[in-house]
Amino acid sequence: MAMESEWVQAEAIEATEFQELAARHYVSGVPNTTINDGAGRVVGSVPEGKLVQELQRILAG
Amino acid sequence: MADLLNDQIKGQVRDVFAEMQAPVQVLFFGQKDNCAYCDDTQQLVTEVVGLSDQLEMSVYDLAKNADVAALYNVDKAPGLVLAGKSGDALVDYGVRYAGIPSGHEFSSLINDLLRVSSGDSGLDVKTREYLKGLEEPVLLQVFVTPT
Repeated sequence: MAMESEWVQAEAIEATEFQELAARHYVSGVPNTTINDGAGRVVGSVPEGKLVQELQRILAG
Repeated sequence: MADLLNDQIKGQVRDVFAEMQAPVQVLFFGQKDNCAYCDDTQQLVTEVVGLSDQLEMSVYDLAKNADVAALYNVDKAPGLVLAGKSGDALVDYGVRYAGIPSGHEFSSLINDLLRVSSGDSGLDVKTREYLKGLEEPVLLQVFVTPT
C-alpha cells in the first residue's frame, strides 16, 4: 500500500525485538496491524479490502 | 562468521531475483549498543543483496547518521528501507522493516524487494484507486514474528 501513495508508510516490526511497542499496541498475536499509532487496527492476516475498510473508517472521522 | 543462508536457499532466491529488471537500494540502519540483532541483520541483508546485480546496500548508524534516518523516518535498529532508484536518485516508497527479517519475514523481504524493483504493488485496482485518493498521512505498523 505504501507503494501506491506517498502518504502511506508501512513498517514491518519484529514484535519480539520491540516488545514495549508491541505491548503498547496490545499486540497479542501476529500479524497485527496498527494504523496511525492505534487509531485503527486489523488483527490477523486479512484480505486487502478489510484493511481498506479500516482505513476508511478511521480517516472518515 | 559463517553464512546465515545455506546454498540451497541462496540458489532459490537467486532464481526468483533473476526476473528483477530494476535496481533496489537497501538502506541498513544499525546502532552500536543495545541491539541484539543488528549484526545478524546486517549480515543477512549483505548475503541477500549479494544474490542479484540489481541490489545494492548502504550501511548507516541510527545515531551517527541521524539526518539520513530522519529523512527515511527510521527510528529503530536494526532498520531497513527498501528504496527504488531513478537514475542515481533513490525513490522512497515508505517500505520499512524493523528487526531481523528471518523466518516468515525472510520471504516477505524477498517479495518486497521484487515489488519495489518492479514498481508494482500487486494490489487490486479498487485498492489502488482508494490509496491514490488519500490526502493525509497513514502509518501502517505490521507486527510480526519470525515463526
